[in-house]
Amino acid sequence: MRWEVFRQEKPKDYHSHVGDVHAPNAELATQYAQIMHARRKPANSLWVVPKEEIETVDADEHDVAMGGLTQKEYRWATNYSTGEMAEEIEESEAEQKEAEDNRKKAAGEN
Amino acid sequence: MDLEQVKSRAGPREFGPGDDMPEEYREAATRMIQFHANSEIMGAYIERPFIRQAPSLDRKLAVSAQVQDEIGHGQLLYRAAENLGVKTREEMLAELENGEGKFLNCFHYPIQNWYELPMIMFFVDGAAMRRQATLKRTSWEPYAHAIDKICFEEGFHIKHGESILGEIATGSRRDQQLLQEAFDKWWPRILQFFGPTNDQSVHGGFAMDVGLKTMSNDDLRTAFLNAYLSKAEKYGLEIPETPRIEYDEYEERYHVEESDLDWEEFGAVSQNEYPPGAEQIHKRERRQAAVEWVREAITDDSPAAGATSAAAD
Repeated sequence: MRWEVFRQEKPKDYHSHVGDVHAPNAELATQYAQIMHARRKPANSLWVVPKEEIETVDADEHDVAMGGLTQKEYRWATNYSTGEMAEEIEESEAEQKEAEDNRKKAAGEN
Repeated sequence: MDLEQVKSRAGPREFGPGDDMPEEYREAATRMIQFHANSEIMGAYIERPFIRQAPSLDRKLAVSAQVQDEIGHGQLLYRAAENLGVKTREEMLAELENGEGKFLNCFHYPIQNWYELPMIMFFVDGAAMRRQATLKRTSWEPYAHAIDKICFEEGFHIKHGESILGEIATGSRRDQQLLQEAFDKWWPRILQFFGPTNDQSVHGGFAMDVGLKTMSNDDLRTAFLNAYLSKAEKYGLEIPETPRIEYDEYEERYHVEESDLDWEEFGAVSQNEYPPGAEQIHKRERRQAAVEWVREAITDDSPAAGATSAAAD
């Protein structure tokens, strides 16, 4: 049976998918996950989830636009030039800028 | 966990659904997040008519995207409130509909025209963003996670609002005059956005003690004024003489003359007893009823047709 493993590096981080393990039950799956994914790398917590319990949506199969890959310039902060902003707006814009760069990269690779 | 432990452990993203939180914490967090969620929904309903009224296709698209975002924020927040175990999403939506649910004062006032829109989309949303940025450090982790996404999207709303503000402010003299009128009308309401001063705040102290809030109303208002007064000036808006605002050089903060603000009206507004606000709630109730069939279709437990909705992107 296949179990997907999610590792949380530090307390309060999100759990990120790091790989999978094969195990007949949850107890062994947690043990294998510890050995495979938490022995060397820093880890605060692990989740193991039976593969068949995970529902998926794939952009290419379902023809859904995910991650803002469609042309929608008007909906990003980076598209409006308004001069110096309050600190928290600058922060939000920086996050959007980063996402935009990732989008461009993803679009180039597809 | 008892209340003393909560207070001593309180810190950014410290508590989550796995923690056994005392009733007082869960109720205070529910009150705060539900208020925020309601405000997102009511804000969306205020902005919605301007999808049609916007003067260009780009503006229509952007306002439409913003309204979608606000509704999404509401949904995220109801979820973050729901897992405190005090109220279900259905209960919170029902309270909003029947006038029990509280929300931000500014969203009780209908917007009359395009000139008033940047008052919401720039100043009010800017004030909200000021507050939301501090909530990335709230102690209820699901709330902080919702805030991450909200802040990511909110920057666009405010910059788009400022772009509209700039467009009107550099328009004809009549445009500028109508913009100033809108500003005069909204300015006192915006100053009231952060609520009464600390000494009069009912829930603030507890929320700070348990880490739900990380900055007091007074400090938030000062931070907002620091960033946004200069913006008003940049667009040629004159700050009304009353309510009086003075910069205190010694304390390095703005002092707002509280007695110049109509706190009686604010009180009625915040208790949902202000007639224009009641009308906004009623509008929302009618829309909620009008789309009942959608909720029915979604919760119908017949097997799904296999189609996925287009991404709300």
